[in-house]
Amino acid sequence: MAKAKTSKPVVEKKDSTRSYLKRYWQLYFLLSLPLLYLLIFKYIPMVYIQIAFKKYSIIQNVWQMPLAKNHGFEFFIKAFGNNDFRRALRNTVVLNLLDLVIGFPAPIIFALILNELCFKRFKKVVQTVAYMPHFLSWVIIYSLALQLFAPGEGLVNMAIERLGGSSIPFLNDAAHWIGTYIGVGVWQNFGWGSIVYLAAIAGINSELYEAASVDGAGRFRKMWHITLPGIKPTIVVLLIMNLGNILGSNFDRPFAFQNNLVMNVADVISTYVYRTGIKGLQFSLTTAVGLFQSVVGVLFLLAANWLSRKLGERGIW
Amino acid sequence: MKKKLIAILLAGAMVALTACGGGNADSSSTPSTDTPASDSQATAADDAGNAGDAAGAGEEAAATGELVDGKFAETRHITVEVYDRGNDGGSDPTNNMYTEFIKKGMLEDHNVEVEFVKVPRWTEVEEVNNLLAAGTAPDICVTYSYPTILTYAEMGGVLDLSGYVEDYKADLPNLWDWLGETNMYWDKDPVNGTLWAIEGKLAVNNRINTFVRKDWLDALGMAAPTTTEEFEAMLIAFEENKDTLLGADADKMIPYSVSYDVGWRAATLIESFIDPDITDREYYVNGYDDRKLTQNGTKEAVRLLNKWYNQGLMWDNFALYGSGDTTEDDMMKAGYVGAFTHNWDYPFRNGEDSINANLQRNVGEDAYFVAIDPFNDSKGTHTKYVSSTAGDRKIFFPHTNDEPLACMLYLDWISDPEHIQYLQIGDEGVTHNVLDSGAIQTVAASGDAIMNSGMNIDYTITCNGLHLATEELTKLSQAYNYAEIDPDVVSQADVIAQTNAVPAKNVNVGTIEAEANIGDTLSAKRDQVYDNAVIASEADFDSVWDSMMEDYLSSGGQAIMDERAEKWDAVFGNSNMLP
Repeated sequence: MAKAKTSKPVVEKKDSTRSYLKRYWQLYFLLSLPLLYLLIFKYIPMVYIQIAFKKYSIIQNVWQMPLAKNHGFEFFIKAFGNNDFRRALRNTVVLNLLDLVIGFPAPIIFALILNELCFKRFKKVVQTVAYMPHFLSWVIIYSLALQLFAPGEGLVNMAIERLGGSSIPFLNDAAHWIGTYIGVGVWQNFGWGSIVYLAAIAGINSELYEAASVDGAGRFRKMWHITLPGIKPTIVVLLIMNLGNILGSNFDRPFAFQNNLVMNVADVISTYVYRTGIKGLQFSLTTAVGLFQSVVGVLFLLAANWLSRKLGERGIW
Repeated sequence: MKKKLIAILLAGAMVALTACGGGNADSSSTPSTDTPASDSQATAADDAGNAGDAAGAGEEAAATGELVDGKFAETRHITVEVYDRGNDGGSDPTNNMYTEFIKKGMLEDHNVEVEFVKVPRWTEVEEVNNLLAAGTAPDICVTYSYPTILTYAEMGGVLDLSGYVEDYKADLPNLWDWLGETNMYWDKDPVNGTLWAIEGKLAVNNRINTFVRKDWLDALGMAAPTTTEEFEAMLIAFEENKDTLLGADADKMIPYSVSYDVGWRAATLIESFIDPDITDREYYVNGYDDRKLTQNGTKEAVRLLNKWYNQGLMWDNFALYGSGDTTEDDMMKAGYVGAFTHNWDYPFRNGEDSINANLQRNVGEDAYFVAIDPFNDSKGTHTKYVSSTAGDRKIFFPHTNDEPLACMLYLDWISDPEHIQYLQIGDEGVTHNVLDSGAIQTVAASGDAIMNSGMNIDYTITCNGLHLATEELTKLSQAYNYAEIDPDVVSQADVIAQTNAVPAKNVNVGTIEAEANIGDTLSAKRDQVYDNAVIASEADFDSVWDSMMEDYLSSGGQAIMDERAEKWDAVFGNSNMLP
């Protein structure tokens, strides 16, 4: 269907376009598959965004549902009046900012360190080991964390107690929980995240390093003046993408880690939406929350992109 | 040029997308508008139910006309929800010797084809949500949560049963005999007469018991505690003698174990703190939360738990493990737990895999849990708030059900005493033996004959608890109903569960609107109040309890209590007790 429509306006175009299309049609045909994917799984579902403005009913078609009160904004008003939502919003922002501040530089630093290693085999082994956690699901990571950090029965706490210390409530005290959550997040992601930077570093012209050596630059000088500027565009692009996600949150990680004792700091928008919307049957309310989250995400993305272009970088489009 | 082309291509895709989007919306609207419109019979039946008796008369004639000797002329097809408990080594809940029995019987007796749809037990509410939203919910749905049904009903997603139960009464002798007016009309709205669900019957209304390791009591030369003080002394004795009781595993000792669901897992303790002379009105106003969070003695009960927790008498990590996690059960089976509170028969359930059977294998013949009755209330009695015959499982028909008569016949068939008996005890020599006394003794089965739920309660949806063809036989067999478990231990637990039991009363003052859509939020908050209060330091207990409680009340808890009080007064006036 997409294909039929796409080729239509082209027919009236000039000959060059036609021959161009004739020559490369296979490529466009291939392109149509991912486009179809986006269409079916990303755009068509957007029809249901209107649930946010309507009084949801399981038996009515989405077009037939009556408009919610206050010109359809009933559920937005309700969400912002709701303590749990405001708490989830705060937690989402706080946890994501911490993730950004601590988690974002970690792969860069790791890539820089790896790049300085001259023993190739050692480097490869370290790299592979660091990638591993990325392939574990959060449920498994949480089980590991529970075995390690649980008070009383966790290995780490047992070790601390053996050494005469007192057990640390890694998972059941708010402040400690945030630390554990962020720390485990960094651990899971820094190896995988460094791949992009390593690739960028590999693309830097080696003559630059040679010239710097001749000028008497040491390791840190070279890192500072050549490697970092060399991967700056990559850093900026990834930063923009991360900023766009500041209100987004993946579901598995907070859901696996939260427990009743730390809900005050652990409940984020995605888990709030799951609990209230899917389990609590308030579909309109949570669609409103999800829509708000997405809109803010897009705004952040646009702002960050604009800023980076202002600062002379390329941005992502 | 190239850029331009891509732009055109994308624009084209956009157009196609919009067209598709619209097309999709159209096409998706077709079946939905279709459902109410095309099966006009269903709508008519629906209306008949709603409009009450006027239209009901015509409908009745049509219904009985459909049946010849209780059978449909043409084979009908219905789907029935069944819980999937995911037991280790269990049988397929939709296809085993019991489902075959039901399918065969229904086809022979009523010419109705039955298909089972499995729904995971521990996420049933979410799963049924999805099925309802997709319009593919089973014709007969079961849940424990009435607020959930009410929420669907308000969206128009549930059939009103009031017409059917009346009109088809003549065709439903077993159902009416078994459930009676009480359970059939338990949920009938006093104002507009709607009936969204039928209450399955609790054959045994035992609710909850506290258990203790018999061998530990014996080893320490202690008698079973009968007061809260004695219970506390017992916990302290367990902790102090952990080297004797557990040897090398001494530091794994947990004198009293609860889970994240403190309100349930310390229920006997919490209930003992409620004023035994509480009025019906006060009990009802605070009765929304079935874990008794807002009842008048709960805070002091939790204060005691908090003290025990801070003395190291409870499991450190109870709040870290969620619903369905087996860590705590495993610790009981391994023999680290001294006492706990749970369903009245919890350590006896699951035959060879029961907690008691595991303990006897892992620790020794003398190691098993027995029920005790330790928590005295202010009058010195041991009040336990048990269920009535209703208030357990609820059966409802989603709006997509277009075979209400066939479904009612199914409920009737499944309520036939003989059918209940067969489903509960299975075949002689396979799942049970008949003892000399005539008592039925359940034995561990294997393969296709394994019951995924005790007594097949997942199939006998109108009956929960042992109910054999005659009352004498039921009484006689009750204690032999748990494979691998000493009948005396079961009988004793049964006696304790009924000691000073107060059955629930039905306060039906109409729909409490504040209760809609809030159940899950509030029960999650309830657990947070309990958990945080138990682990607080003793000095912080009051502030933690009060602040968490405020959050619970402001999130909808207070509104429910206010509306309940208001509606009580509107119906019962100044009276604090039910008539």
